[in-house]
Formats: sequence, structure tokens, C-alpha cells
Amino acid sequence: MLAVEYFEVECPEPVGAEYYKQITNDVLLDHNLLKVIEKLHIYIDPKVPVFIAVGILKPITNVVRVGDIANVNPLEGKMTLVITEETYLASMLKIFWERFGKDRVEQPDRFTVVLYNVPVAAKEIEEIVIGHPSESLNRDLIYAFRCVAPEGFRLRSERFEKGKFSFVASENTLVENIDELVKAKFALMGETP
Amino acid sequence: MTLVPVTYKGGIYQHDIVTDLIEDLGGYVVQKHVLAQEVVLQCFVPRDDIELIREISRPLFGEVTDSPLVGTEIAVVSMSLEIHHLPHPSCDIAEYVRRIGAKSNMVSLARGPGKRIAGLNDEERDVINEHDTAVYLMGNFETCIEHKMPILLRGIEVPVVVCGGPDKETLIRIVDPPVEGYVGGVGRFMRRTKEADQLDKLDEIIAEITRVLEKKREDIAKDPLSVSPARLMNLIRERVPAILEVTSPTPLTVQLAGLRVKLPYDTFAPELRAMEIEDGITLGDVAAIEPSRMRDYILVKVLPFSETNTVI
Repeated sequence: MLAVEYFEVECPEPVGAEYYKQITNDVLLDHNLLKVIEKLHIYIDPKVPVFIAVGILKPITNVVRVGDIANVNPLEGKMTLVITEETYLASMLKIFWERFGKDRVEQPDRFTVVLYNVPVAAKEIEEIVIGHPSESLNRDLIYAFRCVAPEGFRLRSERFEKGKFSFVASENTLVENIDELVKAKFALMGETP
Repeated sequence: MTLVPVTYKGGIYQHDIVTDLIEDLGGYVVQKHVLAQEVVLQCFVPRDDIELIREISRPLFGEVTDSPLVGTEIAVVSMSLEIHHLPHPSCDIAEYVRRIGAKSNMVSLARGPGKRIAGLNDEERDVINEHDTAVYLMGNFETCIEHKMPILLRGIEVPVVVCGGPDKETLIRIVDPPVEGYVGGVGRFMRRTKEADQLDKLDEIIAEITRVLEKKREDIAKDPLSVSPARLMNLIRERVPAILEVTSPTPLTVQLAGLRVKLPYDTFAPELRAMEIEDGITLGDVAAIEPSRMRDYILVKVLPFSETNTVI
């Protein structure tokens, strides 16, 4: 957890806390989410039972453009795009089809896309926005914390806003003063919800 | 003659010499795997003849190793089939047990997770009871294990090995009613077991299962079975040709005191009951043929000498 500024797991059972620290680390690493979390505090009390994860996200403002994932090579009447990263390939093709029509877009192989007779310059193609990584971030985080939380804790309450998040899960109905508990956990990190 | 479980590993070339030798010595091949140029035989052989097999298989570069779990069927009880428990640790443990020769089945509970909400239904209970032993894979919190174990052990008659996050002493203290084996430090984790310390933990689980099964073997030896399950397996393979058509990896699964036959009960149970073993003694005389709760398989439970007064 080198990339995270603050990371603590609080639990009345020290052995359990140690295991959950490892599980959280593994899950966030697997989902590639360590780089977006700045602070994270997890509180688990199996006696209640309740699982609380509160944290602060690093600001993500950048968008992904065609130029970021492909090299654009213009040649008489056609433009060849050599793809270096496939993650946003599907959304890029969708945008090309809508803008230029399917008959002008061809994908001869996995890493090549060819545009025929498109009325725009190569520079303009490179600037087309094809992905917003922050859009799917909340969904990914919720999924990751569902994996971290004990499986029986199926009643959940999540809040993601302004770069701060809280994820509360329990086996029983969530108690009404859960907001106060969340606030107390944020205070431990020196933050307010 | 004492038969001991061993694994033979060697090249596929002339491996039938070894197979014939084992059969001539009075042993049984329980499972045979052919993997490319290699063949792995899991078998029971007479204790005194292991050296002879080693000697004869030496020119074929064969290797004979002890495999205490050959001829056993083990239930690996996972609390659910969610990403929380699969593939690590449930599959890791099930696969490791399989390498030592056991046939492991993963039994996943419909309402296993949680503390208050955890439960065990009658089908799950019966399926677990059809195995030689059950390995319960629990979570990391002693509060939860303490709370749910009495419920999950209700009606379980086979020996149980409990694996959980807390250390072994804590598990012994909190698991009620007491079970036969405990392995601490193996709770829920979400990474592959590949480091040396993690593999040591898997070895510890194997050691605990082996200890539990050895005890069960000793108990069976006090009142021996009327017929050896491995012998029954060979007989069924000869006399019931339909078993050769079954595509399951182990159409006949040998257990410590029985056999799982993967054929439909209604069609084949009368045929099995009437199957003659030796001198007019039929399988129905020395074993109880029952329907299994696992699909529509047949469960052959071999009766002990004290009930049948025959040993063949």
C-alpha cells in the first residue's frame, strides 16, 4: 500500500484486522484502484456486525483521447491507426462509426483501425475524447469493497461525492446513528465527511 | 496382506507392465491419468511388494511414492460460490488435496456466509455425510466461527477438519461441538497460494486430514469390511459395461468404506445388488446399495464383518 497516504484497519480482533488489511490490499491491487485512493480507513466489528470503509480519493480530471492510445498515420485518402492500448478500443470504434459511418471505418486486425476518406485532419482525430476514467470509478470502488467486506454483510449503504466516499455494510438492518460512526471514522483520518 | 495407498508416476511407454504387475500382486489401480507422455497411477499395493514394483519400474524411470489419501473422497465445504471464497482459498485447497490422491468434491452452502444468517440444509448435510471427511473453510473472525459452527455441524456424522483465520488454540477453544482436526491461520484470503509459508499451510491441512483419516482407517480395521472397495471397483468395471460409457473423470469413486457409482439408481441398483462377487455371494449380501443425494448416483456402503459374517 505504498501509494496510499493513510491506510488503517480497525477491528476488536487484532488477527482479523491483519487478515483484512491483506485482503483489502490484494483486492484494490487486483482492481487497479490503489492509485486513486489517497486515504482509507476500515472499521469492522463482527460482534455488531458492521463493516465501514471511509476514504478520500485523489482528484482525477484527465480524459482519454485517441492520441493517448493510438498512433495516427495519414496516407493518401486513408488514415491508419496503430493501437497501443486496447482498453478504450471499443468506445473509440463506436465514436468513429457514429461520426464517419461504418463503411469508412475498418479494423483489419486487433491492433489496427483504418479510416477511409474522412473529412478531418490527423491532428483533429488525435484530439477526439474516447473515455472518462472517473465515470466508472465509483462503480469499480463499490464492487471492490463488496469483495473486501465479509460476504454475509449484504445490507449496504454507499455514498460517493466530492472525492470522498463511505461504504457501510452489515448483516442486520443498519442502525440509525450510522452517520455518526462514519463521521467518527473520517475524523480519525483528520477529515470531515 | 496389507494394502497401502501409493502413487506411481512414470513414462507411458510400457506402463502396462507396471499395471499388470500391480494386479498380479493382488493390488488395485484406483485411478489412472495419462498426461501427454506421462502416466500417473493411484493404486493400492501390498506393503511387502513396494520394493519389487520400484525395482521393476526402474528401467522405465517410474517413481513410487506414498499417497495416504488415495481411495478417499473428501468434501471441501466452502461457505459460498462467491468471489469472496473462490478461487482462493477453496479451489487451492481442493486442488492440493487432489494432488495427494484424494477425490475432492467442493460442497458450497446455499446460506453459508454471515453470522446470524448462516445455515445448513438437509441436502447439504446429507451430501457432506456421504464423504469420508469434510474440510470446513471458515472465515477470519473468531466471533463468527464461534457463532455459526454449532449450526453448520448439526447432523454431520463424518470427521470434520476446521480451517479458520484464528490460530489453532483459539479454534480448539471456540469450536463447539469439538471436531477431529483444526488448522489455524487459513481463513479467507484473496491471493494465490504460491509462497513457501502458504504452501506450508496447505501441507498442514493435508497432515491434519491424513491424521483424521488414518484414525478412521484404524477404526474400520477393528471390524474389517466384508469386501475391499477397490476390489469392488474392478468387479463393477468388468461386470457392468455401462460404467465404461460414463464420461465423468471418476465413474467409480472409491471411499474408505464404500464406493460411489455414477450410474442412475433406478436403472442400475437391481443389477448391482444381484452382481455375484464370489461363490454365489452377491453384492447385495455384503453391501447396502442406496441412492446418493448427489445427482442420481448410487452409493455402495460395504457392511462390516460383524454384520455379514463373511469376508471375501
